[in-house]
Amino acid sequence: MLWLGIDVGGTFTDLVLYDEATGDVRLEKTPSTPHDHSEGMLQGIRRLALDLARIGKLAHGTTIATNTVLERNGAATAVLVTRGFRDVLEVGRGNRVVLYNVKATRPPSLVPRSRCLEVDERTLFDGTVLREVQKAEVETLIDALTEAGIEAVAVCYLHSYANDLNERQTKEWLLKSAPTMFVSTSSEVLPEYREYERFATTVLNAYVAPRVRRYLGSLATKLAAGGLGTPVTIMTSNGGTMPVDKIVEMPVHSMLSGPAAGVIGAVHVASAAGYRDLVTYDMGGTSTDVCLVRDGELSMTSDGRIGPLPNKVLQIEINSIGAGGGSIAWLGGGAFLSVGPQSAAAQPGPACYGRGGVEPTVTDANVVLGRLGTSSPLGGEIRLDGGRARGAVERIGSDLGVELVPMAEGIVKLAVARMTGAIKEISVMRGLDPRDFVLFAYGGAGPMHAAFIAAELGMPRVVVPPLPGNFSAFGLLTADVRHDYVRTRLTGTREAELGDVRAIVEGLLDEARRRLADDGFADTAMRFDARLEMRYVGQAFELSVPFDRNLASMDDLERAFYAAHERRYAHAVPDPVEIVSFRVSGYGLVQKPALPRPLEGSVEAARTGERPVAFDGMFHTTPLFDRVRLGATAAIVGPAVIEESGATTIVPPDWRVTVDDFANLMLSR
Amino acid sequence: MSSAFELDPITLEVVTAGLISIVREMRATVFHTARSVAIYEAKDFSCGLFDATSEVIAQSEDIGAHVVPLPWSVQSAMAEFAGDLAAGDVILLNDPYRGGTHLNDVTLIYPVFEDGRLILFPAVREHWADVGGMTPGSLSGRATEIYQEGVRIPPIKIVERGRVNAAAMTLILANMRVPDERQGDFHAGLAACKTAERRIREVVARYGLPVLLAAIRQNLDRSEARMREKIARLPDGAYVFEDYLETFEDGRFEPLLLPLTLTITGDQLVADFTGASPQVPVPVNSTLAVTAASVFIALKSVLDPDAPLNHGSFRPIRVIAPEGTIVNVKPPAPAGSHGEIRKRVIAVMTGALSQVAPDLIAGDLFRTSFHNLVGGIHPRTGRQYVHYEWASGGNGGFAEDDGPSAMASIDWGDLNTVQPTEVLESRFPLRIESSALATNSAGDGRHRGGLAMRRELRLCGPEASYSVLADGAVLPAFGILGAWSGVPVGSHVVRQRREVRFTTPGKVSGFRMIEGDVLVLQSAGGGGYGDPLERDPERVLGDVREGYVSGERARERYGVVVGDDLTVDRSATGALRAELAAARFTLEIVSVNEPLYRAGAVSRRRVCPMNPADARRNGFRARDLVELVAPRAAPLRAWVVVDRKIRPGSVPLDPIGQRVLGLGPGARLHVRLMADTREGNRWRR
Repeated sequence: MLWLGIDVGGTFTDLVLYDEATGDVRLEKTPSTPHDHSEGMLQGIRRLALDLARIGKLAHGTTIATNTVLERNGAATAVLVTRGFRDVLEVGRGNRVVLYNVKATRPPSLVPRSRCLEVDERTLFDGTVLREVQKAEVETLIDALTEAGIEAVAVCYLHSYANDLNERQTKEWLLKSAPTMFVSTSSEVLPEYREYERFATTVLNAYVAPRVRRYLGSLATKLAAGGLGTPVTIMTSNGGTMPVDKIVEMPVHSMLSGPAAGVIGAVHVASAAGYRDLVTYDMGGTSTDVCLVRDGELSMTSDGRIGPLPNKVLQIEINSIGAGGGSIAWLGGGAFLSVGPQSAAAQPGPACYGRGGVEPTVTDANVVLGRLGTSSPLGGEIRLDGGRARGAVERIGSDLGVELVPMAEGIVKLAVARMTGAIKEISVMRGLDPRDFVLFAYGGAGPMHAAFIAAELGMPRVVVPPLPGNFSAFGLLTADVRHDYVRTRLTGTREAELGDVRAIVEGLLDEARRRLADDGFADTAMRFDARLEMRYVGQAFELSVPFDRNLASMDDLERAFYAAHERRYAHAVPDPVEIVSFRVSGYGLVQKPALPRPLEGSVEAARTGERPVAFDGMFHTTPLFDRVRLGATAAIVGPAVIEESGATTIVPPDWRVTVDDFANLMLSR
Repeated sequence: MSSAFELDPITLEVVTAGLISIVREMRATVFHTARSVAIYEAKDFSCGLFDATSEVIAQSEDIGAHVVPLPWSVQSAMAEFAGDLAAGDVILLNDPYRGGTHLNDVTLIYPVFEDGRLILFPAVREHWADVGGMTPGSLSGRATEIYQEGVRIPPIKIVERGRVNAAAMTLILANMRVPDERQGDFHAGLAACKTAERRIREVVARYGLPVLLAAIRQNLDRSEARMREKIARLPDGAYVFEDYLETFEDGRFEPLLLPLTLTITGDQLVADFTGASPQVPVPVNSTLAVTAASVFIALKSVLDPDAPLNHGSFRPIRVIAPEGTIVNVKPPAPAGSHGEIRKRVIAVMTGALSQVAPDLIAGDLFRTSFHNLVGGIHPRTGRQYVHYEWASGGNGGFAEDDGPSAMASIDWGDLNTVQPTEVLESRFPLRIESSALATNSAGDGRHRGGLAMRRELRLCGPEASYSVLADGAVLPAFGILGAWSGVPVGSHVVRQRREVRFTTPGKVSGFRMIEGDVLVLQSAGGGGYGDPLERDPERVLGDVREGYVSGERARERYGVVVGDDLTVDRSATGALRAELAAARFTLEIVSVNEPLYRAGAVSRRRVCPMNPADARRNGFRARDLVELVAPRAAPLRAWVVVDRKIRPGSVPLDPIGQRVLGLGPGARLHVRLMADTREGNRWRR
């Protein structure tokens, strides 16, 4: 059987084809086709000269949901909301997005106020239904919605996490009268309390669903027509996968589809190589994503955002900043020099692409420094023009009175400073020392800057996996199926019995188990993880505490919370505690691709030439190597440049690099 | 140019980014080690790095009200200990009269030496949940003297050459309600300063002290240059404006005057509050630190929102605030609640700047911190509860767009101002009946202000007590360039379908609510921008369609006629607009030399004398609050005086009034009743 991973990014569509029988891996990279991403994918599949009937697994990372929100071209959506609360979505928490600016405005909500329709219903915090929803009222609303051409409806009632009766009832009536309408209820999407975040996440889901459904529907049809006999699975933000027919109901789970795949792949590759504490660093053309992995566990959060809008589903905690290879260096008032967040993107691209870009970018700076070669075309298509890169960097340098090479090095340093800042946010700022972690670098521009970032942070080691330029597509093939379940029920640890807590957790576990069985997993291929969101009575935010099913008493549970609090805040007091939410994750364990082994080779065989490369203001004659011919255990002392399709690894002076048994480049000093 | 060497721009950028990152790490350290909820959940603390001349060189970006006044504390402490500091000393202070804000804000200052030379001070300011005083939590609306607000700590060396002054520490903690927790807060601040010291030494080791010092100097200099360049673009001159804070003296309304003269000379700016009301024995006074910081927040938010926060941009600004006034309080007046002065300083800055840079500013924002408290015994738990809410209101409209609705103001950082209904209902015996934007609450204008928030809270338990401490309940947020004011702040109780209103709006202490009462809270609307008759009729239509403005209001204020088919009736609109413009009540300005103020019990207020015939014709009565509309700037507020000696059709205006309004003798002055305050004005008679 063949396994195919396809990651569609803003600039390129990456494909990784894995042959289960031989362990062979093939790569393909084609320009993305934003008007219809399936075109680029099919183009890539054609280039792989692939018989779709031989595919046993096809995993897809897609930006369709994210882009629908960012470009605001989702469905005509309406919201049905509890009477008195139509402005919850517009006002949110009443906070300010841009500080210190009298001209700041709030980003508009996805649904205008006139499409937030109030319904005379009410449930109370304990689940009591104060007013039942009335059929006649809903039916009047349905007529209005149909007339207004509404395609998607989010049903958002207060306290539906405690009792979903009114929401369920409303959905049933809606679907009965308007069967083609997409309807999401807030209790299905996110059965947690805090209405603004739950409603907003539900609206996100409804808003993107029709477009995601059309895209994935047409993709599945085209692939089936080409002979594909297996269901397409979609990478989800929590690091799992979901089959297409499930994701079209809950597309909000695919918002981090692409970045999550890379992180999952990184954990898989790093753990084989013996590393359980890592910072993943994925630098592409316009942005950089970093994520912290501690003892093999991903950092998760339910406090995500998509643009300015909250997305509260459980997801990998990925810190994303607007700086990548295409980021532009610019001068602000008072001679403040900055890099990004403006990006030359794919069009016009950096100046060296010769497609009309004139602003100096990080990529141009790397060309000037000799770190990025101009002899072989990027992605097989784009020829780099060193003259244009120099021209662009020279212009900003002359504005500042800085020579060409220091200017280029300065641009890279500032980009590196932004990356180190992003990594500090997820490590130092949490009380963790980055020196205890390895830097796991991928993405088209990651391996070029990784050593500089590691040096800045005192990180002892950098790992560059095989296929760094297509790594997210590879990561797609390593993801397990994952389903998350959550219930909000305020439960005081001194009022409730352990049996009550256990019953709720067991209920969620059963749900997860049934769902995995439904997906076709045997009991032996299932894994579960239960956690409680807990806090001191009176606190506003919760800590996630693992729920050990062997706990003997509620006292044990309190003690587990105190320990978690101690870890997070360095102190704990024996005060009363409450459980806010119960969480269960169910994993369907899939077979992973065998990790590549290094090919035969040697340092001598891999050496392809040399060129001058600048480090610390000095050009060094620097040897160039072809990565695939390096072989295992090769040891090279920097400076060195290691080139491969899709990425270039820079080994600065006083760094050395070896190749481990899984073909990873290991940089250290 | 100094003789020291100049750094290349990249080293400057990298070292500067490193210093900012030190402050952020200090912040993280406080957050991780503090013991009190106010700090690790509400994040009510701030950190900064200062140089040997007490200038702030790097700050973290959070609640402006908290961060920006910090430098004044450091300056005060440094004045105390100039030349008498050694490695291992740590200074502690909270005295509002010595550069502090209020007593709960406790500051630690930690000098760092290198080769025997003082180079930098990390400093941390934390909100301590209790510092003693008459009530738990120390802040009390009933305080009349600072002694009731807690322990006052002048700048003292709490640690001297590494040894904690145990006597002082014991004495301080003995006067606070939860001493263990406070000790924890102290250690959190100390840990942050030590982290900063370690990081500063790393920077010195890597780049050398001369590079660090040069980076600091150059960074401050370029920030200063950037601010000076912004100020220099404004035309030179002295611009005046005035506004009021609200108090009641024995149940009678007593506005406190806050005048400002803003003088721009080249690239420098002086904000002079001479003439401000004397301080009062109620908590609306503020310290010079808060006043000066508010001037800066207003200026930054108007001129240069993107600039990094450091002292360079403070340098071109000077603040004059006479001692013993509401903007520079002296002992023993209380200083617990300084937020209202902050908003009013921002308002007078807006008013003065509207005369020079109307394109850069926005209408006044929602005037107040609007502290509402509902407390009682929870029937489920039998325990005491207090629900505290501070709903934000509308922000001002501006040249390019409408003001945002119900959004935190520029001095509030990213504070949340609407609490989740689902959380409130599970914690308190309250049911939120609605939480919505109030139709017609914005200041109408070419670009309208943001809408106010209207919330209805039903008491579902036995009796409770309601208190509110707010400003802007009488004088609403003003619009500029002819726009209208927003609605004022208001609260009332609906008891069995009957409205119970308060005789001292905005100042209610311990009103008894009974089960079933609905408390209605409405924050303030934002001021508009420009004449509403010039608003694009399609935007008015959009507001009607979305329910921000009613059809009736669209006709009355905007002159826009919206048909039943939800389209604009063009010809009817044109005619109505002409009619409304012609019907505006105007009087001819007559110049008078004596200032037109009348003294009250504490302060003085502007009056607008007019002939009885003019008053009658327009429905004005003596002591009505009116707005004198400035077509090209911010309006003045005045109280009507009916006077037969005034020639019919004319209105006297003093030189200050003429300067504010930009109108001279002979010009027509549009005077309008502040219709929306009339309801709340019942206290008046």
